This record gives sequence, C-alpha cells and structure tokens, in this order.
Amino acid sequence: MSDDDPLGRAEDSTLVVRAADGDVPAFAVLARRHGPLMRVYAEQMLGSNVESDDVVQEAFLTGWRRLSDLESPARFRPWMMQIVTRKAIDRLRRRRHHDDVDELDRPADPTQNPERIVEARLQLDAMWAALDRLPADQRRCWLLRETAGYSYQEISEALELPVTTVRGLLARARQYLSREMEAWR
Amino acid sequence: MSDDDRSLPGAALPDDDLDGHTMDELAEYLDRGRDPRDPDIESSAACRLALSNMQRLRELSLDAMQRRADTDPDPERETAWIDGLLDTIKAELTSGRDVPVSHPDPRLRLTLTEAAVRNLVRRAGDTTGGVVTGRCTLTGDVSTPGAPITVDITAAIAYGQSADETADRLRHRVADVLARHTELVIEQIDVRFDDVYVP
Repeated sequence: MSDDDPLGRAEDSTLVVRAADGDVPAFAVLARRHGPLMRVYAEQMLGSNVESDDVVQEAFLTGWRRLSDLESPARFRPWMMQIVTRKAIDRLRRRRHHDDVDELDRPADPTQNPERIVEARLQLDAMWAALDRLPADQRRCWLLRETAGYSYQEISEALELPVTTVRGLLARARQYLSREMEAWR
Repeated sequence: MSDDDRSLPGAALPDDDLDGHTMDELAEYLDRGRDPRDPDIESSAACRLALSNMQRLRELSLDAMQRRADTDPDPERETAWIDGLLDTIKAELTSGRDVPVSHPDPRLRLTLTEAAVRNLVRRAGDTTGGVVTGRCTLTGDVSTPGAPITVDITAAIAYGQSADETADRLRHRVADVLARHTELVIEQIDVRFDDVYVP
C-alpha cells in the first residue's frame, strides 16, 4: 500500500463503516492492521501456527459478515479479539480429547538462563518468552482471562475444565509470569 | 530471587502476605476497575503492589503479542491468509439495486450496480483531499431514470481543515463524478463528518 493512500491512515471507525458498506479495500486495511496480532494471539491460544492462520482467516470472514452488528465501530479490535477467541476455542474443543491433556499440570519451566532474559533488550521480548514457555493450558487460561476478559466460569466452559482447575492454572500462570518479569520492575 | 523460589514453580501463591486477601479476590477487584473502592485493599501496601503487578502483566501480555506481530519475520504468511480472505469476501459481495444507464441503441439495456455507484462516491471522496469517505447511502428510486436521489455521505476530515469548505469541495467533487459516470438526478448531497484523522 502506498503511503499516500488515505485509507491506510484512516481510523478504524471510518474503515469499519465503509467496510460495512461493502468496501473491500477498507476491510483489507483492517485485516492488515490487526491481523498479525490476532494471528499471534491465536497461535498462543492453540499452540500451533498451522491452525492459527485458518482461525484468523475464519474470524475475519465472520467479522466481515457481521460488521453491521458492531455497534461501536471504534471497538473493532476488541470485537475481533472476541471472535478469534471463540474460533480458537472451537478448535481446541474439537481436538481436546486426544492431545496435550498430559501437560495439564506440568509447571512452566523456569528460564534456563536468567541472565539472557535480563540482558534482553526489551521487556516485551522477555514477556513474550515467558508467555511462550507457559504450558498450553496455563497460557490459554491466562490469555482468556487477561486478554479476552473471560470470567473463571466462562474459561471453565470454554476449555471444559472444572472451575477449580482454572483457578489453579491461573494462579500458577500469574505466579510464573510475575517471577519471570520481576527483573523488569 | 533465590534458587528455592525456582524449585517450587507450581506451589500455590502464599496469600497470607496479602493482609488477608487472596490473589483471586484482587484479580476480580482489578477487573471491576477497582470500583467501588475497597478501603481495606487500598490501604494495604502489599495488595496495592500485587494489583499494580497484575495490571502490568495484563498490559504486557497484549503488548508482547503486538510486538511479536510487528516484528513478524514472515510477512508472506500474512499476505497469504489475507489474500485468501479477500477472495472469499469479493465472491460474497452483494451488488444492490440496478442503476440504469441509457444507450443510443434502444435494444441495449445498460446498468450500473448500486455497489458500483457507491464505490464511485467513495473514490471521489478519497481523492477530494483532506477527506476519507465513510458510509455512503443513496436514497430514492435509483432504478427509475429521472427519479430524484439524495446522497448521504459520512466522512473523516483531516485535522486542521475547515469543515464548511471541505464539505463544499466534497459535494462538488461527488456531484461532478456522478454526473460524469451516471445519469442519476442528484437532488441533494448531505455530508456529515463523524471523525477526524491526522494526515
């Protein structure tokens, strides 16, 4: 996209009403602007970068079809985040019963080389590394809670886990992340 | 941090140093926006520290993913799924009503789709300068030649532009483009700026 394309600088709210009107280029700008974050998020939720592309594509397609339901066009990003969350949960449910059940209670590995993280140029890279090291279920609970804003009950239903388990997984994730990020305080 | 801490990564958080409150309780309090204010929590230094750490981790989670996305080493992958998405979307587009266009040969029936007309309006708006077009609505019987049509346009205006002057330019530009490419009788063009962008 060229720099002098006014669409590239337009606010989400403008692009959303326009896309709702049937303007594909406006939606393309939204997809390019927010898609990469959604894909990373889906990847973290699913623990797979093969499925994350599909999930994000499906989510944006759903978003396009339902744009007229979005009451506050400036809230496009959190709205898409919710759609991606639901799509990712659907995927998890479908494959729930034959993998990664064994890692339910595995504690996260502490950083092998704390100095390296402390030396890391950016706090965000350290946070990313810490998120990435969380066991899949802890990470899912954490993201559903902190990024998608789900309640314990909603997480329990989404991941088909007892609320007490969710509580425990969240406590461990929080504790692990706090400890990993202590050096950055 | 001692090695002892690291040897117990799965242990429950000792809540007893939170002046009688639990992390769960604090997390829920944070979710409510610390409102209504709980004086017992707010007067505890340990709780306030725990809350600010939780808030920070929450923000860092999203920011860390955003940074990861911004520095993605594989832009080709982004392009691939977005291209697939756009292809599907284009196939689903609805074209709206037919807008007749006359032709010297009476045996030929030419029409523009309403979607194409709205597209013309959007492009006209975008090339006006200082405007990004938003929604465009054609009111009136566009399928009947000569019927009076009102065009409603919402748009974002560039920061620092005069709204009156910009709306005038936009109206003229849209009227001009529609006159050139369609036979619609435009009775009125209403412009509403509902956003400001920084050019």
